Amino acid sequence: MSGRGGRGGRGGRGPPGNGRRAVAQNSVPWAMDSDIVLDGKPSEQFPPYNVPKAPLLSKKEDKQVSYFLLFREQCQDSPLYTQARSRMQASARTYGQEQLNKRYGQTTKATVDPFTAVPMYSHKFKTVPRTLPDLGARPFAKEFFPPELHATLEGDDEPGGGGPAAKRRRVGPKTLGLSSITSYKTAEELFLPGAQGAHAQQQGANLDKALELLSTVEKRNADGDEEAFLSGEDDDDWVKGNGEDDEDGVADEDDVYEDESGDDYNAEAYFDGNQDDEDYDEGGDEGGDYF
Amino acid sequence: MLVTKPVAELCALLIDELHGELPSRIFAILLSKGRSNLTQLAQYTAMTPRQVRHGLAVLQQHNLLFYHVDPSAEFASYEANADHAYNLVRTGKILEMVDTSFGPAAKDVMQSLLLSGQTRISDLVAAYREKIEQANQTAAIIGDDDDFGAETNGVNGDSQPAKKPGPLVKSTAHLNTLICRLVEAELIDVVHSKSFESPEDVLKTVEKEVMDKHFPAGVKGNKAKIELQERIAEGLRKVRGESKSLKRKLEQNGGSAAKRRKLVAGLGGANGVQDEDMDPALDPRQVIRINYEKCLVDLRNRRLAQYATDMIGETTAYVYGVLLKLLTKDLPRCRANPVMDAGDEKDESEKGTVCVTTEQILDNLKTSVDLSLGIGKAERRQVSSTAAEKIELYPPKKRVLIEEAEVDGEASADEDEGDNESSEESEYDSDYKAPATNGANGTNGVNGTNGTKVKFDESAAPKERRLDRPGQLRQHLLILSESTQRFVRHCGPDEWTVDFVPVMNSLREVELDSVIERTCGRQGLRLVRILRAKGKLDEKALPNVALMRKPELQQKMLEMQTAGFVSVQEVPRDLKADVKKSFFLWFCDVDRSLSRLLDTSYTTMVHCIQVLEALRQKERDVLETTKRTDVRGREKDTMRKSYYERYSRFLECERTLFAQVMRVDDLVSVLRDF
Repeated sequence: MSGRGGRGGRGGRGPPGNGRRAVAQNSVPWAMDSDIVLDGKPSEQFPPYNVPKAPLLSKKEDKQVSYFLLFREQCQDSPLYTQARSRMQASARTYGQEQLNKRYGQTTKATVDPFTAVPMYSHKFKTVPRTLPDLGARPFAKEFFPPELHATLEGDDEPGGGGPAAKRRRVGPKTLGLSSITSYKTAEELFLPGAQGAHAQQQGANLDKALELLSTVEKRNADGDEEAFLSGEDDDDWVKGNGEDDEDGVADEDDVYEDESGDDYNAEAYFDGNQDDEDYDEGGDEGGDYF
Repeated sequence: MLVTKPVAELCALLIDELHGELPSRIFAILLSKGRSNLTQLAQYTAMTPRQVRHGLAVLQQHNLLFYHVDPSAEFASYEANADHAYNLVRTGKILEMVDTSFGPAAKDVMQSLLLSGQTRISDLVAAYREKIEQANQTAAIIGDDDDFGAETNGVNGDSQPAKKPGPLVKSTAHLNTLICRLVEAELIDVVHSKSFESPEDVLKTVEKEVMDKHFPAGVKGNKAKIELQERIAEGLRKVRGESKSLKRKLEQNGGSAAKRRKLVAGLGGANGVQDEDMDPALDPRQVIRINYEKCLVDLRNRRLAQYATDMIGETTAYVYGVLLKLLTKDLPRCRANPVMDAGDEKDESEKGTVCVTTEQILDNLKTSVDLSLGIGKAERRQVSSTAAEKIELYPPKKRVLIEEAEVDGEASADEDEGDNESSEESEYDSDYKAPATNGANGTNGVNGTNGTKVKFDESAAPKERRLDRPGQLRQHLLILSESTQRFVRHCGPDEWTVDFVPVMNSLREVELDSVIERTCGRQGLRLVRILRAKGKLDEKALPNVALMRKPELQQKMLEMQTAGFVSVQEVPRDLKADVKKSFFLWFCDVDRSLSRLLDTSYTTMVHCIQVLEALRQKERDVLETTKRTDVRGREKDTMRKSYYERYSRFLECERTLFAQVMRVDDLVSVLRDF
């Protein structure tokens, strides 16, 4: 800058710039003060910044948040929740409805990730996301819905006009549906830390007593019992889940695959996982599924 | 209803969070495009009509829609109910409130109701019956197992009952009682045929009806216009009252349950079982849903009690909470509807405002609360009892001067005279003790004995014990009415009421002040207060008033101007409007800054949820794993350590973000809804 300033306005710029540049040349700090030590370092990219922090949650707020999260968990477990996410990326700015609509419906067969779409053992534990709410699964107070939705509420709203076959199939889940309103025990156990903690404590107490009362052999026996119980419960769950999957598979017209890299084909993890599983070997059928 | 862009975004995000993507898309479109029918919606969203129908059904089930079916047209037109959508964020608060004031079982019922949207009572009962049966079965199985286990090792037997707590709702009769309680508290109301008409539609139909019925020849003259207004308001109130039909029926069936319960408690058998037998069976065909308006009233009570805690103290705030609870028992909503309640207000001024007597409060106080806490001691001659006991018959604006003076004299003068002679100076309390309260103490002896009993246990000083509870209660109430925030109005001898509008205004101002302090520091807050006290101030005069140096002051003022707390007005001195000569007046417009604050709050909430979405994208492989059926429920055992750490870190972030959203919602509810 200063070097070019000496050549005046010859660089193709207009003469009015000339005078300003001469001034600029003389008034830069190092021209006025020869002792100045220039700090050539660039300014720090992320200077330390005092981030204001919110105060910790009070007991009441903590409870409120837990209740909300539990409620959300239950909502997402209910048959009315549409699990499928067809949206790809959220960040891009959109102009107009058309562009916004294009964002959705992106997860189709064509967008499947070829690396994770290969059938794997752990895929059987995956729930197929619902693309439409399962309205046939629960009763409704139909008089408060507009007439055009009544067929939909019955679960008869099939793309082909709802033949008799479809109707017959829907009769089954209708009775099942009632229980689903209350079947949110899993979420409760998961998200209420108190319940889980109590359970763990209970188990701990059990073990302590066992130590006092029994020999080590018997204690191991008790553990085995517990394992068996756990795995039995799991089996039920799994069977039930599978049943639902089948139904959904028939009901859904467009398949949605949401395969992400689940780290299932990680060879190192494979062996690590096996080591971890030693404790569970007694459980029987699910020796190799954790990883 | 019209909403701003951030609110629309927030509502869509909340629905996306709780009910899924499909309904959220439809809701967003309904908010942006307004009233539409099915074909239009399908066109706007580029979805198949089948998808739209499903989405609409879900929205309707969760009370998030208004719809209108014109008899002539075959299609229904839908509108978004943005209020209910926003209220989704308050779910946690409402549940927590029900939990503390009605117990965990009621919370369970409320949660099921929130979860399933509008529900027929018979369906709810059936669902609960099934759950109870299931629980019984599993309990039986576990019991069998345990018997077996007890035989083999004798360990599990004694710990079993604690391990499996039974279902919260024990029987269908219990469920019935719970629903009755919640209906009486108006937290649950009945869905009726007009529930899903948008307010405008209801207004239109009522208007039409009134015109057809009473003014077939058209409205002529001012008198007729006023009559028309009144009739419309009446019709609207009637529609609104329909949702309370269940409550009315319950009240007809032998008075309020609370009264009965008290009777039972008096007999000594305060047992839940007796209560259940007495509750009438509810009509199983009724459809019920949550009433957010009343929930908001209760939330406001809690917020005000919190405010009193911050300003005065815990014991006083507890008294205030009880007072508010009694006062708002029959208050259906926080803000009166200008059209519908115009007539109501007139009635109210005729029959006198709702007020609570000291005795009522005393009856509802817990005996375990020590009222002697939180009252200061003062020499009795330092307290002007006439001023303290002043009775204000009317809310601040409507006050009539002459009457006030009369009442003043009558209420306090002679009572104090009497006390002056009888009481010792050390007992500062006794001069507030009106004869009436003394009598009350004598009549309901149960309370009195209870109170003394507790005090025998707790208080060490014998002098304290002599201060009776009514007197202490009066102290607390007087503190509340004397405070600058005007928490309570002493509206008659031993009668108390709350003017919600001025109290809420002061609370709003406090919230604004704290925001100003956080953004612009104490200096900024001080300047704003100066401006509020002085009105508009010239730029040149401000440094003198504020005792600050000019450059500092200007910098601060500019900072606050960009934040929207103060504004500047330019007033030219002459026609030429020379900038150098004109005045610049600083002023602060509280309403404007409040509305700006509200808008910022919405944006903050949207931002929080968006951050959460980004986090989910980032941790998507972990979250995918936790959704697997073999991992779900025992993440800690099955997941690898690094994964589990990431997962728990994510959960932590999620909690913090939602907590932030709820805190901001606290602000929003103070600014907008209370």
